[in-house]
Amino acid sequence: MSSWETFTWITVLILSFGSIIVFVLFVKDIRQILKKFQKEK
Amino acid sequence: MGVISTIDYVIIAIYLAGMVGVGLWFAKKHTDFDDFFLAGRSLTTPLLITTLISTYYGIDVLFGDSQLGFTDGVVAWFGYARPTYAFFLIAAFLLAQRLREEDFKSLPDILDKYYGKNTRYVGAVTSFIYSLPALSLYGFGMLGDVILGWEPIVGMLVLGGIALVYTLTGGFWAVVLTDSIQFVLMCVVLAMAFPFAMNLIGGFDIMIEKLEPSYFDSMGDLSIWLIIIYASTGLAILVEPTFYQRVFAAKSYKNIRNALIIGIFIWGSYDWIITILAMAAKTGTLIGKTIIDPGTGELIQKTIIDPGVAPDAALLTVMVAALPAGALGLFMAGVLSTEMSTLDSYCLVAGGNVAYDIYKPAIKPDATDQELIKTTRYGILLSWVLGFAMAVSFEQMLGLWVFMASILISSVLVPILLGLYVPKFRKPLAGFLSAGLGLFSTVILNVYIMMNGTFDLEEETYIVQWLGIDFLQEFVMYITLPISLIGFFIGLALDKGGRS
Repeated sequence: MSSWETFTWITVLILSFGSIIVFVLFVKDIRQILKKFQKEK
Repeated sequence: MGVISTIDYVIIAIYLAGMVGVGLWFAKKHTDFDDFFLAGRSLTTPLLITTLISTYYGIDVLFGDSQLGFTDGVVAWFGYARPTYAFFLIAAFLLAQRLREEDFKSLPDILDKYYGKNTRYVGAVTSFIYSLPALSLYGFGMLGDVILGWEPIVGMLVLGGIALVYTLTGGFWAVVLTDSIQFVLMCVVLAMAFPFAMNLIGGFDIMIEKLEPSYFDSMGDLSIWLIIIYASTGLAILVEPTFYQRVFAAKSYKNIRNALIIGIFIWGSYDWIITILAMAAKTGTLIGKTIIDPGTGELIQKTIIDPGVAPDAALLTVMVAALPAGALGLFMAGVLSTEMSTLDSYCLVAGGNVAYDIYKPAIKPDATDQELIKTTRYGILLSWVLGFAMAVSFEQMLGLWVFMASILISSVLVPILLGLYVPKFRKPLAGFLSAGLGLFSTVILNVYIMMNGTFDLEEETYIVQWLGIDFLQEFVMYITLPISLIGFFIGLALDKGGRS
């Protein structure tokens, strides 16, 4: 496997797992936001 | 082009309906203008990461990077994308904290505080022009054409129209929430696309074998001047209206700083995969396959990707050829996400420029929050219509992107940065001359080059001959930025009074 291909697989892992982790954290925060709107209602 | 199955259409339809649903859900929940335009200044790090990344990664990256990747190779990442990360770091450590020190709502707010109303209006007009969603609408036209077989104008109207609806109704909250969904969709789908593309062309080693060695040269075949120009477009981040909006909408400085640092890794990975997929498309134009002619039933040789494919359509073409049913639908929804998240953010900023930066200070200083929200919606609609007109008029996206970035950099970079960091430079005439001359010279030079130059198919830009030198449209910034700087210091010398 060339260094170009190895680097590409590393970016694939960062992109896939990184984005999923960020999204999970986003879902945690969004609960607070939805609560805020419920309160205002 | 591959066949799109029913499941692909269902996935796209669910995605589009979801986006409109989010906008409608937020339609009547805004309490004031801060809530509508800055999401109540309550964005946390994960929300900032998702909205920053999905906003920046629109048409310029998807087609600009892939166009360069297709024609020149890895220089698309090393020369075009990588320098922007340095500007993101500068923004994270030097700029964002300074911006958070005052209660600003928009980029022209800063110009107003340092230089007065006239400079604010110049900044508002510049920000408005820069934020026109021409590139995204052009991209929707291409998506509709390449993937769905629609006329480009139909793609612009239908797909761009959906993003318009949820931005109009839901404001910044809808933009942030849809951005988050769009973020995960576009990242995961792009990561997933890589193995499929390698499978299509026979593996990474085939790509190395078939492509010219210059495709793996970090400087490629591009001239150093062109690389410097592409890299310097990253300067735009330092005066980017959507970036400023997110800095002002963050819960704290730490949130925006952390979001930028984490975001750089995801940005870098995204850019790299785009570049590699475009190179896979190029490889596909060089590899033959045997197929049965549907007309005669005979075996014929054909390349995997049509060698005549337009460089900016290469990425979409290789994905349609590589992905199976279902995955293709997800990819298309991901590509739509990339465009929608950009279009909604820029339309909202443009709408804010009309309402908050021009209408309120110039026409109705005592406008209520509800009036501002209503005027922002008119501004969003106006920006969409003007962007549509530009999208059907311009031919080259890369040239258009450089043109729009040069407008912003040339007019507001100097007064914003000097105003932020050198308090004694905050003189009204300095800011006004710098911003005004920068804007004026950029427009005049671009119009001149486009009317008197010739369109070079190889360089994919307009070129004029000046003093025996080929002057590319991309070089305009080399003239206009010094003009803005000179204008600033002339104004500084002439301004005897004013604020300081």
